[in-house]
Amino acid sequence: MIERIRNYGIVGVFGLLFVVLAFTSPSFLSLQNGANILDQSSVLLILAATTTVCIIAGIFDLSIAAVATASAIMTVNAINAVGLVGGVILGVLFGALLGLITGVAITKTNVNSFIGTLAASFTYRGLGLILAAGGLVTIENEQSAQTLRDVMEGKYLGLKGAVWIAIGFVILVGVVLAYTVWGKKVYAVGGNWQAARLAGIRSNRVLISCYVLSGIGAGVAGVIYAGRYGTGATNAYPDSYAFTAIAATVVGGVSIFGGSGAVWRGTLGILTFALIGNGLNLLGVDTTYQQTILGLLIFAAVAADQVFRRKSA
Amino acid sequence: MSASTAVVSVRDMVKTFGATRAVRGVTLEIPRGSIFGLVGENGAGKSTLAKLMAGIESPDSGVLTISGREQSLRDPHEGIKAGVSMMAQEIMLVPDATVEQNVLLGSMPRRGPFPNRKEMRRRYAELVEFTEFDLDFKAKVGSLRVADQQKVEIMRALSQDADMIIMDEPSAALTTDEVERLHHSIREIARRGSTVLLISHFLEEVLALTDHVAIMRDGDLVRVGPTSGETVDSLVASMVGRALDTDYHEPKPQADGPVRLSVSHLTRAGILDDVSFDIRQGEILGLAGLIGSGRSEIARCIFGADSFDSGEIHIDGELVRPSSPHEAIAQGMFMVPESRKEQGLVLGSSISDNLLLATHKKRSLGGWVSKRTQWAAAEKLAQSVDLRFNSVKQAVGSLSGGNQQKILFGRAAEVNPRLLIVDEPTRGVDIAAKRAIHETLEEMAASGMAVLFISSELEEVLGVCSRVLVIHRGRVQAEFKAPYDEEKVISAFFGQSGLPHD
Ligand SMILES: Nc1ncnc2c1ncn2[C@@H]1O[C@H](COP(=O)(O)OP(=O)(O)OP(=O)(O)O)[C@@H](O)[C@H]1O
Ligand SMILES: [Mg+2]
Repeated sequence: MIERIRNYGIVGVFGLLFVVLAFTSPSFLSLQNGANILDQSSVLLILAATTTVCIIAGIFDLSIAAVATASAIMTVNAINAVGLVGGVILGVLFGALLGLITGVAITKTNVNSFIGTLAASFTYRGLGLILAAGGLVTIENEQSAQTLRDVMEGKYLGLKGAVWIAIGFVILVGVVLAYTVWGKKVYAVGGNWQAARLAGIRSNRVLISCYVLSGIGAGVAGVIYAGRYGTGATNAYPDSYAFTAIAATVVGGVSIFGGSGAVWRGTLGILTFALIGNGLNLLGVDTTYQQTILGLLIFAAVAADQVFRRKSA
Repeated sequence: MSASTAVVSVRDMVKTFGATRAVRGVTLEIPRGSIFGLVGENGAGKSTLAKLMAGIESPDSGVLTISGREQSLRDPHEGIKAGVSMMAQEIMLVPDATVEQNVLLGSMPRRGPFPNRKEMRRRYAELVEFTEFDLDFKAKVGSLRVADQQKVEIMRALSQDADMIIMDEPSAALTTDEVERLHHSIREIARRGSTVLLISHFLEEVLALTDHVAIMRDGDLVRVGPTSGETVDSLVASMVGRALDTDYHEPKPQADGPVRLSVSHLTRAGILDDVSFDIRQGEILGLAGLIGSGRSEIARCIFGADSFDSGEIHIDGELVRPSSPHEAIAQGMFMVPESRKEQGLVLGSSISDNLLLATHKKRSLGGWVSKRTQWAAAEKLAQSVDLRFNSVKQAVGSLSGGNQQKILFGRAAEVNPRLLIVDEPTRGVDIAAKRAIHETLEEMAASGMAVLFISSELEEVLGVCSRVLVIHRGRVQAEFKAPYDEEKVISAFFGQSGLPHD
């Protein structure tokens, strides 16, 4: 029973929030509001999915916001150099490459992932500065900028392109994690690195693949930014994106000790945050208080998890 | 027996975990000053019952009385305060702290808020004198081998000056020599008036040490009484509910198939020195020796888990030099590692995922796995190693120690390698399951597999293997063939050579 509450508590919280908001605010249930919530969350949904995979594998990637920023800049530069399609592909690949570099560096040196990715984060922010030659880069070809904006901002079946990209990405990552051999390896490495290695799993390779996935997610986030704004800015994604993704994953019920969890949990975590923000807005709570309230709620969620964990142990 | 002479008594103790009824209404009194044995098959509920007495688990219902006072312990700390300390079956130490800190963890002498180093040193020295365990007290526990960690656990339980000390499989990882010292300490504890509750699968040990013995089966107490008059067979009959042949049969005749594994001049500075040997197809070769003699290191080098400086490994005549377990497995090897918790199992994952850990790929369709197929395969494997479980989706951490060990065995069977290395494969496994594992190994060998069998239990090595190498300080000290002269083998443990090694 306690096990159940711990595992599905977040579903209950989400459901409760949903019902309360539906009753207290008439505009909440409108399709428009739903589409807005998803639109504001699209990048975070992507980042929370890759963060969930990393945490299950037993690592943290704090560099995702910096990588996403560098990728946004790279995307713009690449579009200017080789055209729209090539530029978008290069933008995502650039994220993957940075993830690969982080992963190789950390696994080869055995540095703790928390510190290692923190250092990587500084490095990649610096790299962004260099690539943007100090500030802002803009897609020069008006046609390309417009096309990319249409893809991201245009509406399809009521949702923006960026939202569809996020949904597709999250489902893809979730399915691959749950139903492939690679996914099984991620769980095993996060659960017991040593045992996984002795069972013939190349544990470090699996970790590197997680950093690469993380980089790809950040790359996609970079492309979304470039599409939305037609620019790449050195402050495209502040580091709070990385922290929010981690917080959402934990609130969603993924153990920070690794080895267990699922992608939908990170997704639900982000959506819960969005509901809270949305609810506070609709209820007319001053935005100055919202951060504080959100922070306290995160703490409450994690503390509740600890209490249940202890009871069931 | 009146309540006043019992140090610990339980009445109608019940503990369930989900669908598993681990302890179903046990009533038992443990007389003060006794050495009290608790035996039973894997999963019978021994550890759980002991944990209830020590406050590590809390009962669903039932009464616990310690030294005449009814107790409802909420955590091990309260258990220790009430006078019961427990050395757990699964090692629970702080890997980054030193031996000394771990030993004195719960009873750190203080001066004000600071640890009193002098007093710590003195208390530790006392314990060393008592147990005669020589460990480097400054070493990090995480860097110790399993047997030494076990010694730390034992010393920690002793350090708490408890009225009753529970030892759950204390000798499972120790060598003959260390077991002697442990037995000496246990007798000494009882002589000083404290009580020892000893849980063990080594029935001879139970018969030799204890004055009372209780037998559990499927969460129930089968019977309890004085140890005198019991025999291995009488205990086993009550444990499994039927008579079981407990003697080793004659080892197989010497294998004469082609050489499967050939190790020559394997050397790793400071650890292995010019180790050479062959194993033939269908042969089970035993590696015996003291803990720390280098047996596990030989295994790890062959399996690619550790690197070595020089030497050659051939499998079926082909030179191999695996640089990782992954490569070793590709070259037809597999290893059941020595420590199931640290090296073997993903405790939080399911039985199914653990059984198939090494073979997910084999069972997949182009990288995609079907849960249904996996569960079915795991179910079959679990049955083949006689696992006691509710569902293959259950977390491995919820299994009893012996059943956890069986999982590793199931995994190896699934890989079906050309060379199987097993390092302490029956540690903590009950007598019936042990027999089953030996039979499985013999079947695997009969089908042509070569097996390298490492065990600290001499009787087992000599009973299963037709040829045994004794390792001493990283060298092959001697080679023996069945029928064995046990004394000669043991003296080789300490550096005397037996037959000239060929
Ligand atoms: N934390 C837990 N969660 C779920 N089931 C558990 C848990 N601990 C023990 N069990 C179950 O309770 C039963 C008794 O386990 P216990 O560890 O007491 O057996 P044991 O007699 O000590 O066996 P062994 O000789 O293998 O150590 C087993 O079926 C086991 O799977
Ligand atoms: Mg046990």
